Parts: sequence; C-alpha cells; structure tokens
Amino acid sequence: MDIQHIRNFSIIAHIDHGKSTLADRMLELTGAVQQRDMKAQLLDDMELERERGITIKAHAVTVYHEKDGERYQMNLIDTPGHVDFNYEVEKSMQACEGAILLVDAAQGVEAQTVANAFLAIEADLTILPVLNKVDLVHSRPDEVAEEIETSLAIEATDALHVSAKTGKGVKEVLDRIIERVPPPTGDREAPLRALVFDAVYDEYRGVIVYLRLVDGRLHKRDKVRFVSTGSIFEAIDIGRFQPKMTPCQTLEAGEVGYFVSNIKTLGDVRVGDTMTLASVKNPEMLPGYREPQHMVFADFYPTNPGDYEDMRDALETMALTDSSLTFEPVTSDALGFGYRCGFLGLLHMEIIQQRLEREHDMDMIQTAPSVTYQVKMKTGEEIWVHSPGNLPSPDKYDELREPIARVSMLMPAEFIGPVMQITTDHRGVFVRQEHLSATRVQLVYDIPLAEIMYDFYDKLKSATRGFGTLNYDIGDYKADNLVKLNILVNGKEVDALSSIVHHSRADARGRAVLKKLRKEIPRHMFEVRLQAAIGSKILARENIAALRKDVTAKCYGGDITRKRKLLEKQKAGKRRMRQVGNVDIPQKAFLAVLGGDEK
Amino acid sequence: MAGHAELSIESLPSAPAGTPLYVHLPFCVFKCHYCDFYSIPAEGQDIPGFLATLEQEIAARAPQSPTTVFFGGGTPSLLSIEQWQRLMAVLEEHTGFRSSAQEITVECNPESLDENKARALLDLGVTRLSIGLQSLRAQTLQQFGRVHSANEALEAFRAARRAGCRSINLDVIFANPGQTAAQWRVDLERILEEGPDHLAAYNLTFEEATPFLRWLEQGKLQALPEELELELAEITRELTTAAGLRPYEISNFARDGHACHHNINYWHNGPYAGLGPSAVSKIGNRRGGSARSLPLYQKRMAQRGHALDWSETLDAQARLAETWWLGLRLTEGLSAREARERAGFQDPTDPAVPVAERLVQAGWLQRAGERFQLTTKGLPLADAIASEFFSTLVPEGTANPT
Repeated sequence: MDIQHIRNFSIIAHIDHGKSTLADRMLELTGAVQQRDMKAQLLDDMELERERGITIKAHAVTVYHEKDGERYQMNLIDTPGHVDFNYEVEKSMQACEGAILLVDAAQGVEAQTVANAFLAIEADLTILPVLNKVDLVHSRPDEVAEEIETSLAIEATDALHVSAKTGKGVKEVLDRIIERVPPPTGDREAPLRALVFDAVYDEYRGVIVYLRLVDGRLHKRDKVRFVSTGSIFEAIDIGRFQPKMTPCQTLEAGEVGYFVSNIKTLGDVRVGDTMTLASVKNPEMLPGYREPQHMVFADFYPTNPGDYEDMRDALETMALTDSSLTFEPVTSDALGFGYRCGFLGLLHMEIIQQRLEREHDMDMIQTAPSVTYQVKMKTGEEIWVHSPGNLPSPDKYDELREPIARVSMLMPAEFIGPVMQITTDHRGVFVRQEHLSATRVQLVYDIPLAEIMYDFYDKLKSATRGFGTLNYDIGDYKADNLVKLNILVNGKEVDALSSIVHHSRADARGRAVLKKLRKEIPRHMFEVRLQAAIGSKILARENIAALRKDVTAKCYGGDITRKRKLLEKQKAGKRRMRQVGNVDIPQKAFLAVLGGDEK
Repeated sequence: MAGHAELSIESLPSAPAGTPLYVHLPFCVFKCHYCDFYSIPAEGQDIPGFLATLEQEIAARAPQSPTTVFFGGGTPSLLSIEQWQRLMAVLEEHTGFRSSAQEITVECNPESLDENKARALLDLGVTRLSIGLQSLRAQTLQQFGRVHSANEALEAFRAARRAGCRSINLDVIFANPGQTAAQWRVDLERILEEGPDHLAAYNLTFEEATPFLRWLEQGKLQALPEELELELAEITRELTTAAGLRPYEISNFARDGHACHHNINYWHNGPYAGLGPSAVSKIGNRRGGSARSLPLYQKRMAQRGHALDWSETLDAQARLAETWWLGLRLTEGLSAREARERAGFQDPTDPAVPVAERLVQAGWLQRAGERFQLTTKGLPLADAIASEFFSTLVPEGTANPT
C-alpha cells in the first residue's frame, strides 16, 4: 500500500462514550469481521476488560476502506479511557496522525475528554470531533459542539453525528478520516526505524511487539535491533492485526503491525524504543516516551509465606504484559516478605490485584495504597518514602512533603456548591473556575494526592448525581502538618496498618480505622486490644471481646462429615488472613486504614 | 472417565462382625421446626413398603453380631408392635444381635409410647429407651412444633418405667428463644425429679434448611445472647451433677453405668454401619451415607441393591484430627496414644501432640495422667479448639470424595 493511502488514527473518548462500540462498527463495515462473529466490543480481549467495560491494553487493528474508488489502509489504535492509563494513551497517539474525538451527545464534554484531547493536541494530531449517541432522545448535539469549542478550542460546527450502536454515520467517519487526516510521512527507502508503541506477552509466542513503521521497510527474517537495549532479534513473524494476527512478508513506513521473535521477557523490549535493522550503525532514535509515572504504591504479601517465590514469578509474568507495573522486594515486621508495587493509579492497582488472584491463583494480603512522600532530613538529605511504615521518626526530619494533584472537575453548574464542600473537606485549595457553556462548569483545585486516592471520585459522583468527572495531573510536593498514625494490635505496632495523615484529622481517622478493624477482625479465643496512636500518645482504643462460645451441641455418626465441613468452612475464611502475633487479621482489615467515613 | 461414576456398594467395605449398628426409621407424626434429621410425616406413607426395603438392606449390609444397636429417626416408636416384631425377627435372623449387643436403644416420642409398646420393645430385647421430651413448657413445645403435651411426655416416661425399662434417656433442648435462666432451672429440676438414667441436653442450634433458621433470619425468632446460653449450660451441668447424672460428653449426662455405649463409639471415632435413608456408615478409612430421601432410597435399593449416595476417604492426618475433635468432646478426654490407635495413625512423629500441648499452655486443655481434656474454660469453645487440630494437621482440608 503506497503511503498516501494509509491513515493512522485513534479514538479518544471518556469512559462509556462508545469508543469500543464505534470500533466494532468500523470492523463490521469494512468487512474485517463478519457480523455473526462479532462479540460485542471485540477489541477488549481480557476477561477483566470485558467484565469491567474498560479497555486496559492498547490494541491495534488494520482495516481497508474504499473511497471514490480508491482503497485505503486504515490503522485504528484503540486506547484506554481511564485516568490511570494516560501514559498508554500517549503512547498510542505517537503512532497516529489523527484522532477521533468521540463525545457522547447527551453527556457532553467530560474531564477525561478534555485531558485526552489535550494529549492529542500536544502530539500534533489532526482532531475530528464526532458526536455519538445522537439517536438518544435527550441528546443535545448543538450544545455539546459548543462545549467542545469552548473547552478545547477545536472547531466543531461540522462535527459528524453518529450512532455507534446502530451504525448510523460510521461510514462518514471513515470517509472524513481519509479526507482530513494526513497520510503518514516517512521515507521508505531510508533505513528502518519503527516505534515500539506497545508490547504484550503471549503464552505461546512470547512477546508480541506493536510497531509503527516510521521509515524504511521490515521484512520477515530481517535481523533487527532495539536501539536502547541493543538486543538483536530475528523477525520470525511479522504482520497486521486484521483484527486477527495476519502474517505478511513486508511492513512499510507508515504502517502499523506486529513483530514476533523468540522474546521471552519484556525486559528485552522497552516500550517507546526504536527498532532498526541490526546492520544499521548509529541509528537515530525516535523521540522517546515519558516513563510512566507511578502515583500509588501498595505492598503485596503472600498469605502463605511459602508462596513468596510464586508471587515473584507471577509479578514478573504480569510485568511482561504491563510495562507500567513496577515491583521490588519489601519486608514488614507484621507481614514478612512481600513486594512493594508501583501503579499508575488506584484502578491499575485493583486490576493488578485481581489478575494476580485470578490468573495466578495468588492468595495475598494487600496493604492500603500510599502515595510517595518526600522527607527533608535534618541532615539536609532528601529521601523518598513509599510506605508509611518506613517514615523516619519525627525528630529525624525537618519537613514531610506530599504530592499535590491539580484536579480539574467538570460538572453541571448547579453542583458547584456541594463539590466545593467536598474539595474543602479533602484539603483542597481553589485554583480557578471556568464556565464552558451556560450550564457546564470546570473547577480546578490543588488537592493532596493522598486525599483523592480513596473515595474522592465516588463522593464527586454522588454529589453531582453522576454528572461530575475529574482528571488530575501531579504537580509539586508541598510540606504540611502530617503525622504518622500507628495502629497497635494487642500492644504491638503493625507497620502495615500505619498511615500518614494530616494532624487535624489524626484523631477522627484513628477512631474510624479502629471501628473498621473491629468489624473486620474476627473474635479470637482471647480479647484483642486495638489502639491508634501518634508516637506514644494513644488517640483511640477499641476491644474485640474474646470468643466465648463455639461448640456443636449434637455430634453423632450422621453429623460428623457435615459438622467437620462447617469447621473447615470457618477455616477457609482464615485463608485470606495473616497472623500478626497471635491475632488473625483478614485481608480486608489492611485496607481499613484508607480514608472514608471519618465523621 | 464418566463425570459421575456410579457408586457401587464396593466403595464401602462390608462391616466386619461386631460393628455397631444404626438403623434409621424416618417417620414422624410431624416434623419439628428445629429438626434437621431426615424425617417425613408418616401419614400416607407406605411404611410396610419401606420396611420391606429395609429388610433387604439388612440382608445385604447388616454386620454380624453388632455390639450395640440404635434405632433412631424420625420416630421409631411410631411403628406398631407387629411391625417391630417382624423387623426384630429379620434383624435377629441376619445378625444374631440379641446375643451380641450389650445395648439396644430405641428412640421414642411421647405420642407413640405407652406401657404396652414399651413392654413389647423390651420383650424384643431392647435395653434402653430414649424419649424426646424436649421441654415441659406448653409454649415452648408449641414453638418447637411438638405434637405432645408436657404431661404426655412425663406419662410416656413413667409408662416406660412401669413396663420395666431400666435405662431411660430424656432428650431436652435449652436456649430456645425467650427462655430465661430461672425458667430453665425450674424446668430442668422438674425433669430431673422424674429420675431419668440419662439426659441429653442440647443447646438449641439453628440448623440449615429448618423453619427455625428461616424464622431467625426473618427476625421472627431471636437467638439468646451468648452469655445467657453459657449460663444455661452451666445450670445444666450443675443440676444434673446434683441429681447424680455425670456429664460425660458436651451434651450428655448419665448415672454410672448408663452412658450410651453406642454414642461413645462415635466419639471414639470407631466403626459403625448405618441402615435406612440418610444413615451414615464408617468402615475402615471410608465413610459414606445413604440417600437422604425415602423415594430415592427405595429406588436405589431396587435398582442397585444398596442406597449409598456419597462417600469419602479419610487419610491418616484427617483421621487423627477428627479423632481429637470427637475425643475431646468426652469428659474423659483422650491420650495421644489412644488417638493414634483409634485413627490408625502409624507415623512415628505425632503432629497432634504439639497442638495439644500448646492448647494446654493456653489453658484450653488440661492433662489428667496421659489424657488431655477440655478445661472448664475450653468446654464452650470445643469447636474452636478442634479447629486448631484441623488447621495444623489438614491445612488444605480433609477428605476426598470418591
């Protein structure tokens, strides 16, 4: 396919604005997939993705579309839509020349739309606004077009109207991409340069590398080099996603495709790297990617200490398919050996946790997520603290700084009052307020990241009856009056339960944590004492009374098997518990230190 | 391999001579609201048809010369004297139990036990009658769904005595919703005044799939507070002891020489053969139960000549853990050696001993010579204590169903 007949584009949209459905319709319309083979949202192939209705990994697909008697190769790069996965959105955009800005004509512009559109503008993409769900009775395409213009300064008067659900207007979208998105530029006669924009791990084929060819050609059997790592591989199989992996002999500049060799670990493939032919000396790197920003850290400990090695294997395997997951060994007095993992955000954390449990059958204890703190020591040294348990004692440092997020929230104007109240409750500092249209407002606040980690989004949603959306960027670190809140179980400090909180909240938080722990920790054969403390000062106490009665009244021949199973069932409940001293603490209790309900 | 391999009678070995025998007779006038045993209202049922099937099962599976025989239910006393005569004759023909069994018990309910019936049973070799009295309060009997009055219950007991029965158990339940400590004290004193040889006093349990559990969940019934339940159990031990009935198991109290041999065998984790629907057998390392429905029981018997519905194999560790669980229920407790012998545990290192010793340290068990026993403090926590053995000995769960 000559380069003038190639278009590379992505679709950016807020969650639930219909991106995957639009992609499905494009596949059908171009005949890439027969209708009867369509599973809804074909591109979301992981079980978890389908279940949660979100796209986690970027995917690519090549379709062919005819316009005015000419055939075009259209490469669609699907992107995730959640705030946690901005990094992956950026990666996929760098492989495109254009982007469809898909906005729900009923919901209007959301914070995520704005954030992703700015990423696309930054990547210098041609942006085509498309209004989806115009068949809904309460859709308001004109107002939403105005919102796009006000909030993004993107011309939207001739935005296409589609219904991805019914397929209406989808052909026009493809036609417009051909008309307006420029073909790739690139020199097919120059030495090979290809951008690695994603990589996934396949159990049978090893690492599958997603490529966008910028210059030159890649032939099957070529020897290639990844520039940053220097490792050399043979192109055992190359091809396009149509959407199934379809082998070909050659990929050319401008095209999107895959590369398979015997790559067993993702350590050999750095997403953002440049691929060249092994024979090229001193190749020029393509502009690289920003390293993923880890916003949230949490510790995973195997419930059974003997599973430590298995957990490492599982994390390594997961890291093969998820380049944004990091982990390092960690030791806790209470929980023994485990791993501190870095995540893009809370959703990312939750997904990793569930995949470890489902795909790798790990039983584990997860500590409450924590942000990274910056500590200015008395010695003048600055250190990073990823876990409250590692915070030095207060006499050793001058300042404890926390990351501040610049949070942008979009909502209908009538909800400004309640939203401002929530931000104040979360130590937010007002930055600015903008009216996007007569009815929609953007509020910008600086809020400590730790404050928005847990239930801030849920609170925003409920205060705005579901209409509020948010996006955030991490800004500076700022010092505040922060203290370490310790939790003691039967007089023993449990490092995995400690947290860093604002001084003014310590009392309420301590009480709230103990109340939750009291609910989560089962009764034991002895009394369990819980205390919350700052240093040696006890802020709150709770006791879990000893179990007094646990005995089967009737136990004869016909009862034994059944009663034994009941005993075992109780024991099975203990599987997800960890012994601290002689107290069994269930997994859920370790999350009790998260905020919420402190009033 | 088929997904549901047919269970054959071979999946339980046949019971060796001397194995204690349990026979389940499932009919009741009315099923009580708390009861989770397999029982069905007798009205309209083909009892002779069932007995014919049971006779086949006796012929096929009953052990020779059982050391004890226990007829449970259901309400065995519901059978007529003629039906009993025939059943006992068939059983005698196949097992010779009348000369081998040191104890032959029949469970009775007051509405179907009079002096005649009691005498007939004794004439047939029965040595022990167990009467479901449950409570002396009319309101409680009604709450339970019992079909007899308190007076009828006492009258049945006296009739059994008049007939010459020298070993009588009364079954009672405490901790029913609304009960107070004072009430229970009065009721139990009154019951003990009658002079039973044995008392089985059960803390009411809200069992799965019973109206009582449903009512509890619907808020129509309230369980008693734990503290009160503990107090009631205390009162039970105090009053029975004062009346000369020694507590020999968590819920069982007896005059000297009247402890139930058949049941002690369960707590010794001994072998037993069970006949009739829902009855369970334990033979060697295998345990299995018959179909828990009369039609299915009869169908299986007709088609296969046995009614086995499930079975499991117990490995040595699981057998040892079960042996401690069951053995500690007895006041006498058990020694590590007895546990190993009963469990058939051969391994020279005994994994239960460190657990038992740890529990002694913590004050849940005490030593009496070689034996370990629950302490007063440990008694109401017998299950939690048993869990310690299970979680150490069989951390991944016990038996494999076959």
